[in-house]
Amino acid sequence: MRTIDRLGAPLFVSWQITRDCDLCCLHCCTESAPGKRLPDELDAAEAMRVADEIVRVGVPYVMLCGGEPLVVPHFFEIAERLGGAGIDLKIESNGQRLDAAVARRLARLPIRSVQISLDGDTEETYARQRVGGSLAAAHDACRAVRAAGLPLEITFAPTLVNLHEAEQVIERARALGAFRFNTGRLMRVGTAARLWSRLEPSEAQWAEFRDLLDRASRRLGEAMELCHEPFEMRDGLRASLESPPATLLVLPNGWVKVAAALPDICADLRRDRLDEAWDAYRVAWRSDRVRSAARNVVDDAALLAQANVWLAPATRRIDIIAETP
Amino acid sequence: MSEVKQTIAPAQGMPQAKNVAPAPLDKPQWETPRLEDVSEQVMAQPYIRFT
Repeated sequence: MRTIDRLGAPLFVSWQITRDCDLCCLHCCTESAPGKRLPDELDAAEAMRVADEIVRVGVPYVMLCGGEPLVVPHFFEIAERLGGAGIDLKIESNGQRLDAAVARRLARLPIRSVQISLDGDTEETYARQRVGGSLAAAHDACRAVRAAGLPLEITFAPTLVNLHEAEQVIERARALGAFRFNTGRLMRVGTAARLWSRLEPSEAQWAEFRDLLDRASRRLGEAMELCHEPFEMRDGLRASLESPPATLLVLPNGWVKVAAALPDICADLRRDRLDEAWDAYRVAWRSDRVRSAARNVVDDAALLAQANVWLAPATRRIDIIAETP
Repeated sequence: MSEVKQTIAPAQGMPQAKNVAPAPLDKPQWETPRLEDVSEQVMAQPYIRFT
């Protein structure tokens, strides 16, 4: 039996609480940037209702991300509602606003990880990829996280712009006290898809990068976990066809995606309860349409570029259910 | 999300009770999601792991 058919609620909710961001990264898979808040994002009251739903159904782990979650005025209200109910949290941030005060406030919550992006090891490279960002500020954020006693996780999105600094970033992450370093093949989604020809490393460069990761993994041993498998988004999707992950991806407007790599939306948390969204997710992963779309993306990564052209839930969900045996 | 319930049809060949209120469907015995099972699920998804 599939994991999702055994569980009464998701194991994990990845909640993009805004598309707004204070940076304009070339590789962004959510197409976030300053002023890119969606016109129909959940407001504070609606977001709190979603948080209450997450608590009610018993989700054990939630990631708050974006965009940049710390630009949302009610970020702490959400985090404290979830954390106060005993839900473990992961916070994804670019680190530009994560100072000592923010870290100390987070440290009062059950935080499993604060993940900060370090997409370069020199200011020049970092700012070329993370336009508008300061590497020094991101490093300060990492130190603030560790000083507050929080677990630090680093992510690195490799591109033609920053690949040459990958080894230094790995070493920097270790020196900053990260317990884990995440990376993988650049995802052809969102802004990255639009700028693909400027960003995509060659196959030879990918092979070299994977060798580097394998060597670094052996060298670091238990000093820092180095996560790079599954390497490609398509690999994850292929695995999902066998056993869909027990996770829900919630968009800033409350829509629930069937998979990050697909445009399909299975529920709307403005309208649906979270347990109903979980039912719809399970049903969606049995539908011919979703499974066929997933297989198509596995066969042709260029289709990932359509993943952010979301298909509205109202009609799609009914269609999906009508196909279900 | 009433649409889900509306699509549930009785299996073919099942005897249909007449003039009797239908028995409630057996509720599945759901397992409670546990935090210790989370990591593997999260790390298996590149989009979530390193966005």
